[in-house]
Amino acid sequence: MIPQEEHSMNKEEPKEDSVEKSSELTRRDFLRSAAVVGGGVAVAVGAVTVAKLSSPPKTPTGPETIRTISEMKTVSITEQSDILLRMQDELRAALAKPVEQRKWLMVIDTRKCVGCHACTIACVVENKLPPGVVYRPVVQEEFGKYPNVQLRFFPRPCMHCDNPTCVSVCPVHATWKRPDGIVIVNYERCIGCRYCLSACPYGARTSDYGLYYTENTPEIQPYERLSNNEYGKSWDRKGHSSPKGNARKCHFCLHRLNEGQLPMCVTTCIGRANYFGDANDPYSIVSQMAELPNQIKLLEEKGTKPTVIYLI
Amino acid sequence: MKENNAKNLYVVWAIAFVVGLIAFVMKLVTGERLAGYGSYVPWGLWVGLYFHFIGIAGGAFAIGAIGYFLNFKGFREHIRVILLLSACSIVTGLFSIWLDLGQPFRFARILYSPNFGSMMAFNAWMYMVFFAIIAGIFYLSMNKIHQNDLHDKSGWLVPLFALGFVFSIAFPSQSGSFLGVVDAKPFWSSPLVPLLFLASAIICGAAAILLVFTFVFPAQTSVREQPFSMLRYIIIGGMAFYFVAEFAEFSLVFWSPNSEIRTSVELILFGPFWWVFWLVHIGGSIAALIMLIRGSSFKFLGTASFIVVVGFLSARLNVLIPGQAVSQLKGLQEAFYHFRLRYDYSPTLNEYLVAVFIGAFAVGLFYSGMKMLSKITTKRIGTLL
Repeated sequence: MIPQEEHSMNKEEPKEDSVEKSSELTRRDFLRSAAVVGGGVAVAVGAVTVAKLSSPPKTPTGPETIRTISEMKTVSITEQSDILLRMQDELRAALAKPVEQRKWLMVIDTRKCVGCHACTIACVVENKLPPGVVYRPVVQEEFGKYPNVQLRFFPRPCMHCDNPTCVSVCPVHATWKRPDGIVIVNYERCIGCRYCLSACPYGARTSDYGLYYTENTPEIQPYERLSNNEYGKSWDRKGHSSPKGNARKCHFCLHRLNEGQLPMCVTTCIGRANYFGDANDPYSIVSQMAELPNQIKLLEEKGTKPTVIYLI
Repeated sequence: MKENNAKNLYVVWAIAFVVGLIAFVMKLVTGERLAGYGSYVPWGLWVGLYFHFIGIAGGAFAIGAIGYFLNFKGFREHIRVILLLSACSIVTGLFSIWLDLGQPFRFARILYSPNFGSMMAFNAWMYMVFFAIIAGIFYLSMNKIHQNDLHDKSGWLVPLFALGFVFSIAFPSQSGSFLGVVDAKPFWSSPLVPLLFLASAIICGAAAILLVFTFVFPAQTSVREQPFSMLRYIIIGGMAFYFVAEFAEFSLVFWSPNSEIRTSVELILFGPFWWVFWLVHIGGSIAALIMLIRGSSFKFLGTASFIVVVGFLSARLNVLIPGQAVSQLKGLQEAFYHFRLRYDYSPTLNEYLVAVFIGAFAVGLFYSGMKMLSKITTKRIGTLL
C-alpha cells in the first residue's frame, strides 16, 4: 500500500520542548471541549424534544371537511333493516361533521365470522393489491383437542392504534394518525425504509416489492396495471413509482369513506361480522357493540391501544 | 514474495468487485425483486452490513481518539489513516442502507424533512455531523507545528476530537437503540442490545485499525510493541465482554421457564443458520483469539483482525434476523401465503453478491483514499500519511 521504508517520514524534526508543551491538555482545551460537547448534546436533545412534542403533519380540519352525502331515497332505514344499510346511513351522518369530530371504529364479531376470506379478497380487489401485499388477512385459531376442536377466525386489518408504534419510528413524517383516527401513509413521502413494518406488532404493514400476479406469463394482464384509488388519488405503479417500494397498509378504505361508502371488507362480509362507524356517535351500532363485555383487543399488552375490537 | 501477496490480494479484490458489480447492477435494474427479505422479516443482510460498517466507523474513531489523546505510539502520526478508515466505513454503511431502501432516490428526505423522534432520522443526522467532524479534524490535523503534537495552531483540534469521540460512542450504541425501541420485537427490546452493539463496534473498530496498521507499519516493527499490543488487548477484552454479555442473555432465557425470547435464541443456536453462531461467530472468534494471543508476526495479526472484521458481521445478523423471525400474532404467516410474507429469511444469491460488492467497495474506497491522502499530505505538510 505505502512503501514502508518511507513510512511516516516527517520532513521537519520536532523540537522536544515544544512537543511537550503541545502534548498537555490545558484548561482551555477542557473549556472548549465542554462547550462544544455540551452544545452538541443540547442541540440533539432540543431536536428530539421538539420532534416529540410537535403535532403530526397537517390534515385539513374544520367545516371544509364536512361532506354532504345524499340520503338513500329508495329505502327506509329502521331498526330491523340490514346493518349494512343502517351503518351506511350512520356514515352519512358522521360525514356531515368536521373530520376532527369523527372517530372511526371497527368491531369484528368472531362468532359470526366463518373464515370465508371474502373480506381479504375484496380488499385486494378494491385496492388492487399486488402479490405479497395484504391489508386484511384472516388469522385462524384452532383450540381444543380432537374430537373437541374449535376454530376461530380473526380478520386482521390495521388496528389504527391510538398509540401507533409505526408512526413514531417513521424518519420522514410519512405516516401519521389523522384526527378521525385513521393511520395513513403518504406514499410520496415514504422512502421505503420499512422501519414501520418492524415496529408494528400486528404485522399490519407490508411492503410493495413491485411484483405482479401474471408476471412470468406471456403478458402482464392489463387489469394488474390499472390504477388504484387509495387516499383519493390515482396510483398506477408504473416503472418504480409509488406505491412500489413503499410501506402499504389498510386505511379503512378512506377513499370510499369520503364518498359515503363503507370499507370494502365491511360491505363484502357475508356473515355481517363487521361493524364500522363513528365512535363519537353514542347511538351508532358500532358504539353499542364496542360496549359489549365479551370483547378483546389484540396484543393489548403492547400498549398500542388498538381501535379494532373483537367480540368473542 | 511481498509483491506476489499484493498481486494476489488485488486479483481477489478485482474478482469480488466485478462479480459484485454485476449483482449490484442487477439490483439497480430490478429493484428489490431479487432480494429474499419480505414484509415480516423486512431487514436482511444489507441492513446487517449497514450496522456493521457504522460500528467499525464509530469504534475505529473512538480508539483512534483515545490513542491520540494518550499518545500511544503511532496514533498521532497515523491519525489521518484512522480518520480515513472511519470516513470510508461511514460511507460504506450508508451505501448499504441506501441499497435497502424501497425508494432509494428519496434518501435525502431524511436530511431535509427529518422526524428527530425517530431513531433512524436522528442517526442519519449524526452520521452527517460526524462526517463533518472527521473532515474538520482532518483539516486541522494538517495545521500542526509538528505531527506528533496534540494541538493544532488554532486550538480547536482537541475540542473537535472530544465531540467526535462522544459521537463515535453514541451512534454505534444508538444502532442498538434503533432496534431496542421497537417494542414489537421482544428480542431487540433489551437494554443489553445497545451495549452489545457498542462492544462489537469497539472490537471491529480495533480490528480494522490493526488490520490497516499491519500494512502501514514497517515490517520490522515488533508485534509485541505499541500500538499492536494495545489494539490486541482491546480486541481480546472486547470479545471477552461480548461473550460474557451474550452468555448472560442466553443463559437467562434457558433458566426462565417462560421466556418471551426463547424462540429467537433457539433459532440462533439450533435454527437453520446455527452455523452462523457456532462456526462463524464462536469458531471464528476462537481462531482469532488464539492468533491474537499467540501470534508473533504481522501475518497472524492481519489474519486474526481480518477474521474479526468480517466474522463479527455474524454478531449483528444474530441480533437482527432472529428478532424479526418470530411472529407476535400466531398464525399470521399461514393466514395469507406469499414468499414475502414469511417469518424465515435466507439471503438470495443476489444479496450475497451485492454484499461482496459492498465489501469490495469499502476496500477500494479506503485504498483510493490512502493514495489520495499520501498525495495531499506529501504536498501540504511533507509527510507520507
